[in-house]
Amino acid sequence: MQFLKSIVKCCQLILIVPLIFLLGFLVSNVHSESSRLLTVVPDYKLTFPHDYGAHQDFRIEWWYATGWLKTEDKEPLGFQITFFRYATDHDTANPSLFAPKYLIIAHLALSDPAVGKLLHEEKTAREGFGLAYAKEGNTDVKLDDWTLVKEENGRYLVDMQGDDIGLQLSLTPTQPVLLQGGDGFSRKGPKPEQASYYYSEPHLAVTGTVFRQNKPQTVTGSAWLDHEWSTAYLNEDADGWDWVGANLDDGSALMAFQIRHKDGSKLWSYAALRNAAGELTLFEPEQVDFTPERTWQSPYTDAVYPVAMRIRTGEIEWLLTPLFDDQELDANQSTGTVYWEGAVTLTRDEQPAGRGYLELTGYVSALDM
Amino acid sequence: MSSRLLFRWLLVGEWRAHLLQALVAIIAIALGIALGFSIHLINSAAYNEFSTATKHLSGQSDLQVRGTQAMFDEILYPTLVQHKSIALANPVLEFDVVVADKFADSRDNKLTILGTDMFRAINISPDAIGISTDGDRLDGLSDDAIFLSPAAMEWLQVKQGDLLQLRSGVQTVTLRVAGGLLRARVGQRVAVMDIGAAQWRFDHLGLLSRIELKLAEGINRDAFKISLAQELGEHYRVIESADQEARINNMSRAYRVNLNMLAMVALFTGAFLVFSTQVLSMIRRRRQFALLRVLGLTRAQLLRQVLLEGTVLGTIGSLLGLALGYATAATALHFFGGDLGSGFFSGVRPDIHFSWLAAATFFILGLGVTLLGSAAPAWEAANAKTAPALKSGSEDIALVKLATPWPAIACLVVAGLFTLFPPVFELPIFGYLAIVLLMVGIIALMPRFSALFFSAFLAISTKKSSAAVPMLALSRLANAPNQASLALGGILASFSLMVAMAIMVTSFRVSVDDWLGQVLPADMYVKLASSGDKGGFQPEQQQAMEAIPGISRLDFSRALQLTLDPSRPDITLIARPVDNDSPEKIIPIIGEAMASASFPAGSMPIWVSEAMVDLYGYHIGNQVNLPLGKAGEVAQDFVVAGIWRDYGRQFGAIQMQLSDYQQLTGDENVNAAGLWLQTDTASEQVMTTLRALPFNDALEISHSSEIRATSLKIFDRSFAVTYLLEMVAVVIGLLGVAASFSSQTLARAKEFSMLTHIGMVRRQIFGMLAAEGGLLAVLGVFLGFVLGWTISLILVFIVNPQSFHWTMQLHLPWGWLILVALVMVISAALTALLAGRRALSGNTIRTVRED
Amino acid sequence: MLELRQINKSYTGGLQVLSDLSYTLDAGEYVAIMGDSGVGKSTLLNLIAGLDTPDSGEVLIDGAAISSLDDNAATRLRREQFGFVFQAFHVLPHLTLQQNIALPLLLNGVSIDGVEKMLAAVGLQGRGDHFPRQLSGGELQRVAIARALIHHPKLVLADEPTGNLDPDTAHEVLMLMRTEIKANGASGILVTHSKAAAATADRVLMLTKAGLHPLAADQTS
Repeated sequence: MQFLKSIVKCCQLILIVPLIFLLGFLVSNVHSESSRLLTVVPDYKLTFPHDYGAHQDFRIEWWYATGWLKTEDKEPLGFQITFFRYATDHDTANPSLFAPKYLIIAHLALSDPAVGKLLHEEKTAREGFGLAYAKEGNTDVKLDDWTLVKEENGRYLVDMQGDDIGLQLSLTPTQPVLLQGGDGFSRKGPKPEQASYYYSEPHLAVTGTVFRQNKPQTVTGSAWLDHEWSTAYLNEDADGWDWVGANLDDGSALMAFQIRHKDGSKLWSYAALRNAAGELTLFEPEQVDFTPERTWQSPYTDAVYPVAMRIRTGEIEWLLTPLFDDQELDANQSTGTVYWEGAVTLTRDEQPAGRGYLELTGYVSALDM
Repeated sequence: MSSRLLFRWLLVGEWRAHLLQALVAIIAIALGIALGFSIHLINSAAYNEFSTATKHLSGQSDLQVRGTQAMFDEILYPTLVQHKSIALANPVLEFDVVVADKFADSRDNKLTILGTDMFRAINISPDAIGISTDGDRLDGLSDDAIFLSPAAMEWLQVKQGDLLQLRSGVQTVTLRVAGGLLRARVGQRVAVMDIGAAQWRFDHLGLLSRIELKLAEGINRDAFKISLAQELGEHYRVIESADQEARINNMSRAYRVNLNMLAMVALFTGAFLVFSTQVLSMIRRRRQFALLRVLGLTRAQLLRQVLLEGTVLGTIGSLLGLALGYATAATALHFFGGDLGSGFFSGVRPDIHFSWLAAATFFILGLGVTLLGSAAPAWEAANAKTAPALKSGSEDIALVKLATPWPAIACLVVAGLFTLFPPVFELPIFGYLAIVLLMVGIIALMPRFSALFFSAFLAISTKKSSAAVPMLALSRLANAPNQASLALGGILASFSLMVAMAIMVTSFRVSVDDWLGQVLPADMYVKLASSGDKGGFQPEQQQAMEAIPGISRLDFSRALQLTLDPSRPDITLIARPVDNDSPEKIIPIIGEAMASASFPAGSMPIWVSEAMVDLYGYHIGNQVNLPLGKAGEVAQDFVVAGIWRDYGRQFGAIQMQLSDYQQLTGDENVNAAGLWLQTDTASEQVMTTLRALPFNDALEISHSSEIRATSLKIFDRSFAVTYLLEMVAVVIGLLGVAASFSSQTLARAKEFSMLTHIGMVRRQIFGMLAAEGGLLAVLGVFLGFVLGWTISLILVFIVNPQSFHWTMQLHLPWGWLILVALVMVISAALTALLAGRRALSGNTIRTVRED
Repeated sequence: MLELRQINKSYTGGLQVLSDLSYTLDAGEYVAIMGDSGVGKSTLLNLIAGLDTPDSGEVLIDGAAISSLDDNAATRLRREQFGFVFQAFHVLPHLTLQQNIALPLLLNGVSIDGVEKMLAAVGLQGRGDHFPRQLSGGELQRVAIARALIHHPKLVLADEPTGNLDPDTAHEVLMLMRTEIKANGASGILVTHSKAAAATADRVLMLTKAGLHPLAADQTS
């Protein structure tokens, strides 16, 4: 998923934006591509449940879920959770249980229009002692008491309790897995090695509980999950990206992203639209355009985000409108990076079409590392 | 207005005429205050910095879990992370390594490394996270990266990107300096690296030094501390920062207090000097005061005049002393750090902090002492009968009142009682009070002693001959004993202190020397430059050493730290082969050791140092538990089989059989070996063989004679401050001699001119003065010796055992004492002579007429 | 101005020196007291000055009993009303002549302006900044006289003021003292062994065991 693009920034490594935020320092390690890690190649056939699990031979991997929730009072609420697994260059021969060969990073965010801004928490730990891990074989990720597990029956269970916010959700698939790029090989740039393995699970039915200041609220809703892994490089000229993943009201699923040049122009783009019947339409880079419709200037960072966006996929034009403007995620304190990650509604021909999440990275000059 | 003018005239007039005495008094106060204040500043700066630096890197944890040994199994870590009452658990591995480049400097070649998990540390001790200047924070996870504090970089002369060779155990590890620890304390030498890398590279796999905890919201720390300690069992200690402070405090407290006490002793000598200067000045001015009384100065005004003069003197002296003390402390801290040779505060560079409270205390002390010195004579002057006081020759009467013997005798009795008291807060407070009281008492009794001594001397000598000069000198000393004894007081105070310190230091040194002979029975010793608590010689390396030809016996030993009480510094456990039937062969046992036949069945014998008796209440025959062995196993019983003397470890040490230790712990490694050579083997030969061992890089090989010499050198260095204090006391004492002699001789100008008139030649008068000075010094030195010897008994048998928990035998440095005694007598006689010359150079005719 | 009423004084040890001594000195009167050694001349002066207290009897100054004053009141009376001249001069060695002379003024808390004039009056003009060690005995005693009179006392007590001086100097000093006492309108008591000295007073009294009585004419030489 798009998240991918985040990686764009400074480094050549496919680094997810939040990852960059959590670990701005990852960057320079990128150069020393260790030989033990594999690169993404075409023609790999994803098999499940094996590929639901972790892929330790790749540099980076994440499970990302977003969605729209509704409280019992019918109030809308957006959520975003991410678990990253990151392979360091620490010597694999180190027998210490503390050896930081893999890092687990997790990120939790809530968008509540009543609050008017994003609430978020994050954690990082080294894998080890059974305290933090990303297991192979099926989705099973843990960071202290934060967990994301896929059960035998395909249902995801999320349990994340932060200091101020928390989630206990179950995400039940209602549609088959969507392999991006058709077979799960997702290109991120003009060069073939600029790619990742990538599948999505759209239209997950959500039930569960949201905690705020330890007060539980029962919620229901619809979510989108991405699982993506890679070792590959992003294009050196990439400056940021725009990404959207949306569950449409008619049962279709839309994913689109563009990777931007330093001058703001399109470096690469992609879109996939799968209708309720399961028919997948893939769009070539020249068929996908992102056009800012309205901008919002962050009072915190002065960054100007195109929070309302027009996206053209072939003949179709989508208008994305944010749940509220201030969904900027400021991780300045920990790593000095900031991006926008927000719940949006989609309209097509001025008719409500669905709801999703929009991610905008590379709009703050501070992203320059 | 006019009374202020009068005050000024009198003060200026007096000082103009007796500048030297005023200066001596000021210098005496200033030196005493300066010494006390500077030692206080240095100690408190060093202590605060050391404690802050220690706390700094252990962060803001609520509690810490440590093992009873320096390291414990990491298996505890996940348990604590998942404990429901614990919000955060931060694992830390702390150990020392030897810097290869600094290997030769065995006293200063160690670097402390903290192995941390940056993701855990960030929430508890963010200052202990390395920062790379190029912003690559992930480099902190690299297996070859080390981050150094600025002081460590400066010490090692490295910068980011350089390679650093470190030794641990028998191996050398090369690490890359990846960045700095920007927020380390100034002067703090410390390094940080990833905990996983540290465990691996330095062979500490599976081990942690401590786990710092932050508790979940709403958890009561005190209650949880107790319950967690119970959960974890006796192999772990749960401590809070208060415990840690107590531990640091305990570590250096005896040293600091003793140093402060020594400074107080110097201050006391200064105080006595001020006192005698003031008394002499009051006596000299007695007739002037009487005149002023006749002319209409009231008692209160006179008293105020004298006290104000004392205040001016005390204020100038104290302020000067504060400035001097501050400058001295700042200089010492800048050039030598806060360590003062003790080794307690190495690794930090404290900044001096001016403390108003301390300054005020010392100022009041200085002023108080001066006022005290002025008050008694001032009271006497104000209440003297005016008419008789106007007559000349009344001076000695004034002193009679000051010489009532009862307070002095009371002082001596109380001093005697105080020697029987136990320590307070583990400090020999009463011992020091006894010393002060003893000095006060003896000095106060001086007039009696000198009257007795010189009268007897006079009686004897006049029977034998009737030479004028000795007769005159002796008569004066016998009949004006009070003035004589004031001069004597200075000599007495300083000489007795010198004697006491000299005897104490000599006793200590000789005892340490004997002890070294006992604890170093082997010919050569081999140890690892740094092995920490783990590592060391592994069995195959031990075999390699045993195979060396020319060795008749090889004793391996294992030393490690044990925490028995978290608020006290660790004790040392030494496991080595010991002959159960005669442990005294290698352990300096005091008294009788328990016979092996009477060891209770199933108990392993241990031999404990004297400190264990004082601090932990161990006695021969006690059955005790030690946190050895594996967690969960049945605790092994130990029996205290003997007590030994240990000058090396004041916080306590235990020796046990190496075989017992290995059986109990399964730890086969050792840290050191003692080698006995075959009679026909040259040590060079064995040395060469050792140097050829594959792990020779990390070996420290020494002959026992070298160790002995080095130890004594360290001993001497750590007493350097004491010698300095002694010197200051001597200087103050000699100043006092000079001041009191010259002032008295000047006051006697009339007497001398009269003697000239009745036909004494100048040479005879000089002879008389020298005789007086010499005789006084002889008495002063004699009494000083007796007093000093008594004080040394208190130092050796009360202060030392109570402060440092070790005993010693008394040894007197006769040669040195005789030398100092001679110097004192000669310098006193010379001073008397010089002062006499000055007095006699005036117009003798006029002096007589004035009367 | 001064009245002695039946003074008795004996020393510890029982030696009675003064018994039932009574005498009245008028204002402006300058008398000399002679007597054998040990007869109590100095004791008498000390009693008058309030430096000593009689066993019985009273010393009245202008009708007020000095002998019943406490130490502070006696000291105050002394510094306001008395001037002293001693045989041993008793000049403070570390003060200048000026300062020495100004002492009574300072003690009384009044202006020290008159010192220079007084210095001139005793023949030491221009030497105010000198120290006592630069002076001869006669000069020192002039300083003492200046000091005794600077604050215009009612009574000057002089105890053998010329005992340490040669006869010529002694005479000069005595004449100066007389002149100054008279010039200041003070009364004076001069205790002396010397008949020549005594002769400079208005009257001469003899102190004996029997009391204080005028010297018979035939006893004057």
